[in-house]
Amino acid sequence: MNALVHRQTAGPREAARWNRGRILANNLRSVAGRAYPRIAGLAREPSWVFFEILLPFLTTSSFVFVYRALAAPPEYVGFVVLGGAMSAFWINVIWMMAAQLYWERDQGNLELYFAAPMDLMSVLFGMAIGGLVMSSTRGAVVLVIATLLYGVTFSVAQWALLLAVFVLTLAALYGLGMVLASLFLMWGREAWHLTQLLQEPVYFVSGLNFPVGRLGFLGAMAIATLPLAVGLDAMRQLAFAGSAVTLGTPTPEVEALILVAMTIVFLVAARFALRTLERLARREGRLVTRWR
Amino acid sequence: MSRTAVSGSAMSEAVALDPGRLRGRPVRDAWRSFATAARLGWQMEANWTDPLLFFIYSVAKPVAAALILVVMIEVIGGSAGRGLRAFVVVGSALWSFVVSGMAGLAWSVLDDRERYRMLKYVYVSPSAFGIVLLGRGMARLAIGAMGAAITLAVGVAFLGVPLDLARVDWPLLAVAMPLGLVAIVALGAMLAAVCLQTRQESWSYPEAAAGALFLVVGAVFPLHVLPAMAQAAGLLTPLTWWLEGVRQALVPGSASAIGGDGSLWAELSGHATPGGIEITAALLATSALVTLVAATVFRLSERRAKDRGLIDRTSGS
Repeated sequence: MNALVHRQTAGPREAARWNRGRILANNLRSVAGRAYPRIAGLAREPSWVFFEILLPFLTTSSFVFVYRALAAPPEYVGFVVLGGAMSAFWINVIWMMAAQLYWERDQGNLELYFAAPMDLMSVLFGMAIGGLVMSSTRGAVVLVIATLLYGVTFSVAQWALLLAVFVLTLAALYGLGMVLASLFLMWGREAWHLTQLLQEPVYFVSGLNFPVGRLGFLGAMAIATLPLAVGLDAMRQLAFAGSAVTLGTPTPEVEALILVAMTIVFLVAARFALRTLERLARREGRLVTRWR
Repeated sequence: MSRTAVSGSAMSEAVALDPGRLRGRPVRDAWRSFATAARLGWQMEANWTDPLLFFIYSVAKPVAAALILVVMIEVIGGSAGRGLRAFVVVGSALWSFVVSGMAGLAWSVLDDRERYRMLKYVYVSPSAFGIVLLGRGMARLAIGAMGAAITLAVGVAFLGVPLDLARVDWPLLAVAMPLGLVAIVALGAMLAAVCLQTRQESWSYPEAAAGALFLVVGAVFPLHVLPAMAQAAGLLTPLTWWLEGVRQALVPGSASAIGGDGSLWAELSGHATPGGIEITAALLATSALVTLVAATVFRLSERRAKDRGLIDRTSGS
């Protein structure tokens, strides 16, 4: 029997008593419902293809030409291409995950989310899935076109581990996005400005265009805390196996374990932060305070 | 009181009004709109936190962007690549003007339409819409200027940029800088025109557009490494000439982004690098062209937005 079919009940108390199947089905529908506008929106306004795929590809190309101007070894061009592809996910996490609840509050949707009989984590999962479609498209286009255009040669010895690291990086990134979304719920315009601040400085410490190991202690700190840094480094080691320029950082296996730990910590922290901050926000009346 | 007396009293009050206000004083009104919008823009950009945090926020982005390039040079070139540092740091510092200037106008549209939902009220107010947007954009341009100044200061203090105030070519700087800023604002107006037509997620569009221009303007690498078509596109962009002019003014004799062996410029002009007059003339011509195009695009976009009810549209995803 469909868990969401309306049933006659003796009273409101019984009506409010949902079994696990119904709760799960309701939250899955919430995930699908939140992902839907992001996916459907892609088809409705195609300008994103130009602004979010073609133009960022040209930005990535700029860094390729910096290395060409320096007559760098070819694997560095590959590093830039991989970094350009992964930056799509980071941008999506900070703009369309971390800052999203803040936008929703300004638009008046947040109070509806809280009033709806669902877990707010479902909304965050829905946003993540919807956002992944767009960022995966951008990442794939940058990777494929740049690889062909700039003649990048990958040397992959462990495909399974590379795939696992990629999936783990996404899980950790979107987990971090969920934590930030919860934190941003408490803030006003600071959230918007922090989103801005999380771009170039994070690109720098994550080694988006160069091996992060070259940053020494700063790079080590980034590997320990930022999913983009550790994921990118592990993928570079796996995609350019045998290259000496990625030496100086933990092995891909160790970095995969770091990503597993990050994913667990971020998801648990997101759940905790969401509950705590929801309580705080309710107490301080910030759920419906707009345009701060 | 009779109706005649009332209308007589109203007439006398109307006569007492400053008729200039009814007719409008184009220049003064435009200046007032611009100044008010600029002040509002600055408040919105700056009053969300204390001054120290605001300062850190304003300089972290451009300094980090410059450091990415410096580390790239260091990783490949080591000490041999240090000669390129000044080129890269100056280009990267100036780029903060471009990013801020292009984003300022576009974000004003998105801010007012999607977040504060005030665009329709701004639009129907007596102030000219374009002037208000220009004013709002100035605040971000000022933040860009701050970022550029600090990045240059960091470059001089820690990265070995040989900036000597006694050697600066002040006349070239005085001509190139304002012309370049006009071109940046014109590009920002074009992006604002695009954002009038698009949805909320256009926040990242100005940065994407600036990133694409980054490829062809010789900000951090000389144009001659690009294919000829891309070099030609760069030569038609005012930002290329602005960067070249300001770079040559600040660090006279530094490597040229436009000329050099195998460059399209050298092939077309017959000499290795452009001089100050050539840079100024090209900057003037390309800036004028971009400004004209921007004004036309903005006007067309405004008309279409009005026609299709886009000015009070809000969106989300």
